[in-house]
Amino acid sequence: MKKILALVLAVLMVAAMFAGCAKKGEDKTAATGYDYEAIPNEMTSEDGKYQIALVTDVGDLLDKSFNQGTWEGLKRYASENGKSYKYYQPANGANATTADRYEAMKAAATNGAEIIIAPGFLQADALAQAAAEFPEVKFVFIDGWDLGLPNIMAIDFQEEQSGYLAGYAAVKEGYTKLGYTGGGAGTNPACCRFGYGYVQGAQAAAAELGITVDIKYSYNYGASFSASPELQTMLDGWYATGTEVIFACGGSMCQSAFAAAGANDGKVIGVDVDQSSQSDSVITSATKGLREAVMIACGDFYNGKWAGGQKTLGAKDDAVGLPTETWSLEKFTLDDYNALFASLKDGTVVVDRAYDTGLKNEAFANVNLEIIE
Amino acid sequence: MAYLLQNTLTYTIPLMIVALAGIYAERSGIINLALEGIMIMGAFIGVLVVFSFQKSGAFDQDGAMALMLLALVIAAVAGAVFSLLLAFAAIHLKADQTIGGTALNLLAPALALFLIKIVCNQSTLGMYTGNAASWFMLKKSDFGITGEMNLLQEVFLHKIYPTTYICIVLYVVLSIVLYKTKFGLRLRACGENPQAADSLGINVYKMRYTGVLISGALSGIGGFVYALTTANCASTANVAGFGFLALAVMIFGNWKPLSTAGAALMFGLCQCIAAGYGSIDINGDGKFALSVLAKKLGDSGLDAGAVFRLLPFVVTLVVLAFTSKNSRAPKAEGIPYDKGSR
Repeated sequence: MKKILALVLAVLMVAAMFAGCAKKGEDKTAATGYDYEAIPNEMTSEDGKYQIALVTDVGDLLDKSFNQGTWEGLKRYASENGKSYKYYQPANGANATTADRYEAMKAAATNGAEIIIAPGFLQADALAQAAAEFPEVKFVFIDGWDLGLPNIMAIDFQEEQSGYLAGYAAVKEGYTKLGYTGGGAGTNPACCRFGYGYVQGAQAAAAELGITVDIKYSYNYGASFSASPELQTMLDGWYATGTEVIFACGGSMCQSAFAAAGANDGKVIGVDVDQSSQSDSVITSATKGLREAVMIACGDFYNGKWAGGQKTLGAKDDAVGLPTETWSLEKFTLDDYNALFASLKDGTVVVDRAYDTGLKNEAFANVNLEIIE
Repeated sequence: MAYLLQNTLTYTIPLMIVALAGIYAERSGIINLALEGIMIMGAFIGVLVVFSFQKSGAFDQDGAMALMLLALVIAAVAGAVFSLLLAFAAIHLKADQTIGGTALNLLAPALALFLIKIVCNQSTLGMYTGNAASWFMLKKSDFGITGEMNLLQEVFLHKIYPTTYICIVLYVVLSIVLYKTKFGLRLRACGENPQAADSLGINVYKMRYTGVLISGALSGIGGFVYALTTANCASTANVAGFGFLALAVMIFGNWKPLSTAGAALMFGLCQCIAAGYGSIDINGDGKFALSVLAKKLGDSGLDAGAVFRLLPFVVTLVVLAFTSKNSRAPKAEGIPYDKGSR
């Protein structure tokens, strides 16, 4: 026993030797221009009612991606406009059912929610049920489609434009071996649009440069949008066989990509929100304006401009794009980006959105597309 | 080839160290079904140590190795403490060991998830800053190697976590202890015929406690190694069934360290092939034979990916079918020792 104690103490002493070197403070506002972490995640309202509610998609609230982006927009709007806010996570985590989501929405509505934000296409059935039951409550369906109820606003994005920018930038930067790993096993429209746009962007840039690029494209091990040893092994293999940059498109899956990239000095393209602060391997992120979408929807509601139905946000609304302040691209310049973004905005460059027919049937002259199933 | 071996090791190391944990418990006469649960606790505590010390700023990247060792030691202690629950129930209270182990397996994920939610308000506890690879992984530059490497160097001196060495050394040392020392012999005697051991003056209770504690510490280490090497140093209160796989590997290895290591290697190899078949280049000619095979399978209408993913389980079934005849568990395992029933 004495010996074990001595050993532990010895280790602690070694540890103490390294102590004291304080970590240099990160400037958290640098990436986004706004310190979202300063707003608390838990707040207590005086009357016990919570006016703005979030019902999360599968995955964590702070997944550093989809849920978190939505949540930050919500927090910001609420704190700037003096609203109370609260989040609800449906029971059963990644295996949440429509009933679980409905229960979460019901709980939000009975807690006095005036507007409920529900990100994720999986929430459609629960939304339809809850919106019909609580007609006085407004619902915002992020990544969704028109469900035909006047109190549901469906917002989706032109992810293909964001993916296009990322693919174009990567090829122009000089990468010729690309990868894409997507979540939802190919059933998630947002991930599929990101991926399809990415391939189109790479194709366009490769055609301009007169080269051919390779793209490995897979939905394997991404069904639950979470990191796994298998996903890490697969991506590790891609990097080991020459892939230079992987577009990791799906919630916590990025953890596997970061781990594989870290081992092989590879690069990663982030998704949904600016992920550059999470890993040195992130060269840029294909973002969509989750925060903006929530703030637009809440603003419409509280300014009396609410309209149900579909809203599609894209380059024209500045709701997709690459975060130019934090990217580590060098050959692809800010001017190149602005020019391309402008032509997306005014419609001179059109990115095809129909991934289900496009990806497999279309011939990409300058891309060797290897779809791994 | 280096890729194949390295990723095989990634799966093998946690499997084999946890299987050894199983051997230590069962050789002392206690069935430790709780390997999975203890792994989960070990992974959680280890990651928690990394997270909190990073958060407090006590370690920066230069101290990464010390931090990793500290996390490993504390994970081992946590595993040992958690396994005390099983030891107390099974040895002191003479409870049914299978039920005790199952109870721990039910308790661990719930407890870990509960604590993770308290610590960081979400269901994944990761590193506070940085990535597992950039902090804890050793690259060839750390060994002063420049230029070309031979296969051995590429597998063992590049892109490797130091936990791999620690686990291999631990495995070898503890296997020798089990077979070549007085203590090992006594421990094994308690699992075969505790009455005889007792009659020669060995304290069976003490031996069994020791066996379970070592088992718990090793599982805790295994859990942290799993989190570190396959989950980017994050804990989700889940180790993907590696604890149960380790039990299977132990039975497969016939409760013997050498065969168990072989079984773990084989299983790791199959897992690696399943996940990375498209990138395996055996002879280094730039061609991926399995990928070509997968395409051919795909053309004939088979889902190639699914076929490869089935591999670990099919191989295990087949090998077990042929070897289980010779399988021999410690004779007294699972039976609470009662001094009076001599």
